[in-house]
Amino acid sequence: MTTKEKLEQLREKSRRVELGGGEAALEKVKSTGRLTARERLARLFDEGTFVELDKFVTHRCTNFGMDKVEIPGEGVVTGYGQVNGRFVFAYAQDFSAVGGSLGEMHALKICKCLDRAMSAKVPIVGLNDSGGARIQEGVDSLAGYGRIFYKNTMASGVIPQICAIMGPSAGGAVYSPALMDFIFMVKKDYAQMFITGPQVVKATTGEEVTAVELGGALTHNQKSGVAHFMADSDEECIDQIKNLLSYLPSSHLEKPPVVPCNDPPDRREENLLSIVPDQSNRPYDMKKLIKMIVDNGEIFESQRLFAPNIITCFARMNGQTVGIIANQPLYMAGCLDINSSDKAARFIRFCDCFNIPILTFVDVPGYLPGTQQEFGGIIRHGAKLLYVYPEATVPKITIVIRKAYGGAYLGMCSGQAGADIVMAWPTAEIAVMGAEGAANIIFRKESEEEKKQKIEEYINNFYTPYQAASRGLIEQVIDPRDTRPYIIKALKMLANKKEERPWKKHGNIPL
Amino acid sequence: MSTEITAPMPGKVAKILVSVGDKVTEDDELMTLEAMKMENPIFSTVSGTVKEIRVKEGDSVNADQVLFVIE
Repeated sequence: MTTKEKLEQLREKSRRVELGGGEAALEKVKSTGRLTARERLARLFDEGTFVELDKFVTHRCTNFGMDKVEIPGEGVVTGYGQVNGRFVFAYAQDFSAVGGSLGEMHALKICKCLDRAMSAKVPIVGLNDSGGARIQEGVDSLAGYGRIFYKNTMASGVIPQICAIMGPSAGGAVYSPALMDFIFMVKKDYAQMFITGPQVVKATTGEEVTAVELGGALTHNQKSGVAHFMADSDEECIDQIKNLLSYLPSSHLEKPPVVPCNDPPDRREENLLSIVPDQSNRPYDMKKLIKMIVDNGEIFESQRLFAPNIITCFARMNGQTVGIIANQPLYMAGCLDINSSDKAARFIRFCDCFNIPILTFVDVPGYLPGTQQEFGGIIRHGAKLLYVYPEATVPKITIVIRKAYGGAYLGMCSGQAGADIVMAWPTAEIAVMGAEGAANIIFRKESEEEKKQKIEEYINNFYTPYQAASRGLIEQVIDPRDTRPYIIKALKMLANKKEERPWKKHGNIPL
Repeated sequence: MSTEITAPMPGKVAKILVSVGDKVTEDDELMTLEAMKMENPIFSTVSGTVKEIRVKEGDSVNADQVLFVIE
């Protein structure tokens, strides 16, 4: 063979792999409204930057006539490239090639991606669209999943791991996404995620449920809290992933990228004076408040629909990424419950892994009472918040907007939980409990008339930031309009914060 | 298709803001639920017509109890 012929052979081999399961199969995938695996990667990476790896890997299964079955690319496209100029590894499962089923070599391609991403200290993005285990390969397929889970665990906290559910993801396939940091889901009928599908559910429990109800994007974004982001299309999903990456460092060794900021760092915001109602039993939208403070009013919210009584989002302050945790008085009075504790705790840990400073906005009336919460284990779930704040060594700034009562305040990054700076608005009510409850204990022997007056006194004297300020439990009481300038000053002051923790293998977070 | 609007937490029905037959759109406030010393707005999750109101002002409700049916 001449060099020219050898080159032709390379071209021909490449072309065949690039066609995945063949033109007809690709058309079939497209007819469902999906992009193909290669189209998805093309949208993710900057033009011309994608480098494909392991293109010619083939399976080596001979069971059930598989030796005669050719699976171009092994049903998954892997490689690296640049996203907005920064390197990222990615894999995209190809549903056109035997349903994107996962066999031994398919798994090895993904594992190699994870290995290289870890060595290079760059994020990994997994685009999932797979019918599940390649049953013909038996335990080799099973072991493939096991290897991926192991790598995901090793990579956790080293590089950001982001995954998107853009097709089926059932059985063992759900757990690699679950081990990663963030899950995106496309809100289309083809994107589903469940341990067992509707048929098995019906056979074992008798329940009738559609696949979308059981494991669609809305289910996992709203009910289960398994997914963090939802998009209306493949295109929007990939754009959202790129947006998320823009907030994150490439690994735990870096700080998040700083972008140029045209929103003045010393901007005073007049509207902050009128956002909190004078009556403390009236709600307001904490999200609006946050948007008035951060750069250009932009936030990128994780788990927007799940446990909306707490807000978790990324934003920037003077161009620097911050992670924000905030009670939302508009939903369930902004109380802490099982789901909100769980949601916030995981987000805080992510921020701490990747050197993202944490801002906590507090307006919390307490933990939600009731049998549902107690039987569900609010004690151990609520403890997660109490654990993760002291554990985090990134800069932590807390802003008390209004209610900060009792144990729930301690769970929202009070000074004792390790906040570097706690600032309070004059509207803050930092107290051991609500006024009526306190008065009923302290003044239980007084008459109703006297009690009423005592409650009034209690509100005036103890429902303020000044008791806490007089003991140095908070550092600043600020004019609400100056919130942005003060946060930015504190972030600058804390830029080189370094805090050590006692040596240990790892802590034992209450799970 | 009808959608049930449920109580997000236990509390007392403070004020009902709609009547049967009213047209509502998503995120419209249907009632206020007094809980955790807060007048919590309960929003419609869908657009449609109020078909049933299953509670009255002053009622105590449990978490997940159906408050409205929107069609």
